[in-house]
Amino acid sequence: MRRRMLAMVIALCFSLGTVAQACAAEKLILYTSMKESLIGAIADAFTKKYPDVAIDYQSAGAGKLMAKIAAERQSGQVLADVLWTSEVPDFYNLKEEGMLEPYTPSNFNELVNPFKNDYDGSFTAARLGTLGIVYNTQQVKNKPEQWSDIFKPEFKGAFGVADPALSGTSYMSISLLVNQFGWEFAEKMAANDSKIGKGSGQVVDDTASGELAGCIAVDYITLDKIKKGAKLAYVFPQEILVVPSPVAIIKGTPNLSAAKKFVDFLLSKEAQIIVSEGGTLPVRTDVALNPGIPVSSLDEAVQRSIPIDYVSILAEKENTIDKFKKIIQKK
Amino acid sequence: MSIAIKKESGFGTAQIILTLSIGILVVFVAFPVLLIFWNAFFDSNGSFNITDVVKVLSHPETYQALLNSVIIALGTTTGSTIVGTFFAWLVTRTDLPYKKFMKGMFLVPFMLPSFIGALAWKMLLSPRAGYINRFFMDSLGFDGPIFNIYSYAGIVLVEIMYLFPFVFIQVCGALERMDPTLEESARISGAGLGTITRKITIPLVLPSILSGALLIMLYSMAHFGTVAVLGIENGIFNIPTLIYERIHQSAGSFESIRTGTVLATVLVFSAAFIIWMQNKILGKGRYQIIAGKSFRPMELKLRGLKYPLLILCLAYIGFTIILPTVVIFLVGALPTYGLPFTWENLSLENYKFILFEHKLTKDAIFNSVTLGLSAALITMFAGVMISYVIVKMKVRGKGILEFLGMLPFSVPGSVIALGVILAWSGKFGINLYNTVWIILVAYIARYMAFSLKANSAALEQVHDSLVEAARACGATMWQALKDIVIPLVRPGMFAAFFLIFLPSLRELTVSIMLYAPTTRTIGVAIYTLNEDGETVTSAALAGIALILIIVGQTLINRFSAKYTNKR
Repeated sequence: MRRRMLAMVIALCFSLGTVAQACAAEKLILYTSMKESLIGAIADAFTKKYPDVAIDYQSAGAGKLMAKIAAERQSGQVLADVLWTSEVPDFYNLKEEGMLEPYTPSNFNELVNPFKNDYDGSFTAARLGTLGIVYNTQQVKNKPEQWSDIFKPEFKGAFGVADPALSGTSYMSISLLVNQFGWEFAEKMAANDSKIGKGSGQVVDDTASGELAGCIAVDYITLDKIKKGAKLAYVFPQEILVVPSPVAIIKGTPNLSAAKKFVDFLLSKEAQIIVSEGGTLPVRTDVALNPGIPVSSLDEAVQRSIPIDYVSILAEKENTIDKFKKIIQKK
Repeated sequence: MSIAIKKESGFGTAQIILTLSIGILVVFVAFPVLLIFWNAFFDSNGSFNITDVVKVLSHPETYQALLNSVIIALGTTTGSTIVGTFFAWLVTRTDLPYKKFMKGMFLVPFMLPSFIGALAWKMLLSPRAGYINRFFMDSLGFDGPIFNIYSYAGIVLVEIMYLFPFVFIQVCGALERMDPTLEESARISGAGLGTITRKITIPLVLPSILSGALLIMLYSMAHFGTVAVLGIENGIFNIPTLIYERIHQSAGSFESIRTGTVLATVLVFSAAFIIWMQNKILGKGRYQIIAGKSFRPMELKLRGLKYPLLILCLAYIGFTIILPTVVIFLVGALPTYGLPFTWENLSLENYKFILFEHKLTKDAIFNSVTLGLSAALITMFAGVMISYVIVKMKVRGKGILEFLGMLPFSVPGSVIALGVILAWSGKFGINLYNTVWIILVAYIARYMAFSLKANSAALEQVHDSLVEAARACGATMWQALKDIVIPLVRPGMFAAFFLIFLPSLRELTVSIMLYAPTTRTIGVAIYTLNEDGETVTSAALAGIALILIIVGQTLINRFSAKYTNKR
């Protein structure tokens, strides 16, 4: 009995440590903040096209992934070959630290590039995330047309924004709105008793349940819930928040050729169709837009978007979050 | 008696066992906890530095969090004590119908993870969307919500629901074992019910009530789940959630870990204070009058109150156990949160999705089960060995072993997690951070005390003469252990195994601090899915966790009943 148990311990310990890995010629590890619904479909399509590359992805919040990369750097070897998140400042940081392998995708000329002047191949936008206003259609009868509509009584005490300390996209959107409309935007939100929620997904679910009447929300999370029957509507005011999600290859990866294959694939028409169907804007003009996103063309979206100064956004992060939280929580 | 220390070859089995025991406890338990204090009081250069401690402590957020911890703990303790004592009295000393069933039901919250309960109550009582609040507003025409769960009162009530069994079980035990002749003689001497209760019953069960209450206070002070689910969004932090938030936000930077260690020190001192109180109170009034024999205590006739009280009990069970469980399963069956519960909306899709398709949840279930099994097996064997040294060996300094082994019992989970990060993140040669191994190490540290308790109890019943007889007949120390001691303590070992396996299946406090993208546990997956707004998936996984836990517990009850019958 005891010996059998001992054997079990040993067997268990081994099974914990080893990860079953298919015997493919090349390996690829991707760290991404994209949700399972999107990354799962893309990984499947990639495997179909390149059966000899075994792709393994880890999907988690950008902060969690950066912490893991930091820990791996300390121990000397970064496991990730490719990084794809929505936290643009992280990519500027990594580039500064020489962590990224420059690679201009073979199909680069066909892409919409939001990093016009800064582009050097270190990272390439693989998706244009948008943020708009989501409202509960059972509680809010008048469709919000502009950002100032969230100060209306309909949203009193029931308009949410994800915690900018937890969600990168939430930080970007707050930073953009404050740059565009000044800090009085935050003060007016506070005057209408707006709330800071948790993650960028939870504010949408809270809006669907009616706990909130509306919130600033990410496109594909919202559209997924609308598809499943949630009583929500997704609208853009005149100024759209567009946040690119860059993809980059980690310097020194042993799987460089597989990594390049993946980046090329991700930016191909085939994969961008999946991106678009997943509920967000693609980076290719030859891909049809998701009908749930209320713009007529990619160009229109880019033109209406609030311009972003990534360098200053990076420097001001902590101050902006602190100040915003203090205003909203009325401290 | 002196076999154990007889030095035969200078390095016999006894020495090996002793060295190993000390080694395991020092490496897994003492070292991480000591590192907390070291990191709190010494800066990165290794020099004593109290200014940072003062800085963290004088931060308004810190004492607000400490104050919140105290408020919540006091509220929970008072409430649970009242509820627990009342129900214990009801099921042991009155003629309430279906008492046995009731007693079983009141113990159910013991095995339900309170953060799942908190999720359920959030769905039921969030101010604008909670199903109960909606019912009152939509159907009964109330202007506003009847109760806001995102409040101190909400947190305290949810904690009471899940913690009151600590008092309940202690008081039940005391009331059942109490010698009824004491009360009878008082009655014969002419005392009324009030006098008997006041002068005899209450003083006799008071130690049990207090020890249960202090256990709850200890637990509640260090509790993460409920406050994390119901408090954080609305700015209600306690110390463990503040530690989590600090470390989570800065992605584990040294500075944040330092802040965490100072907060952890505060937590350890509060816990130590509670334990000191417990020892003081319990040491003072040892009432030997509660005998070990089983008596049939007299039962109070409830008369007219019988059925109202029965309804009260049933309502309590329905409201606190059945309603939240049903809500979890129902929400888990919705395609998306916020839809009404109609037949077209309910399906098993989410359950299929998390069991067979979703990588994150499949990983989480696999991780929790393997981690639980591994931690339980390792801790079981280590526990036997260390208990053997503590109970049977006559060596100097074993008091230290006992102290070290029981230390994690009083050290809150978030503190253990921090200590483990400090000890195993490469500073001392081994880097386990962000791997599944660091969670295993933390589980071992956290659950060692459970194993020691169960195994010590079993070992104490094995008389020394058995080993002596074997040794006298020429068996070696190892043979005596293998053929006599271990077969006899096997029930203790099994008990230890399950005492560790089941709680680790639903563990949240430790793993939330240690998880990496692929090393989520079930608890972490439920928590992060909820945070990500995947409410329905999170609820479905919680439902599956509940099924796992209940099936596990039932199997254990079956198994242990069979085992005790055989003996």
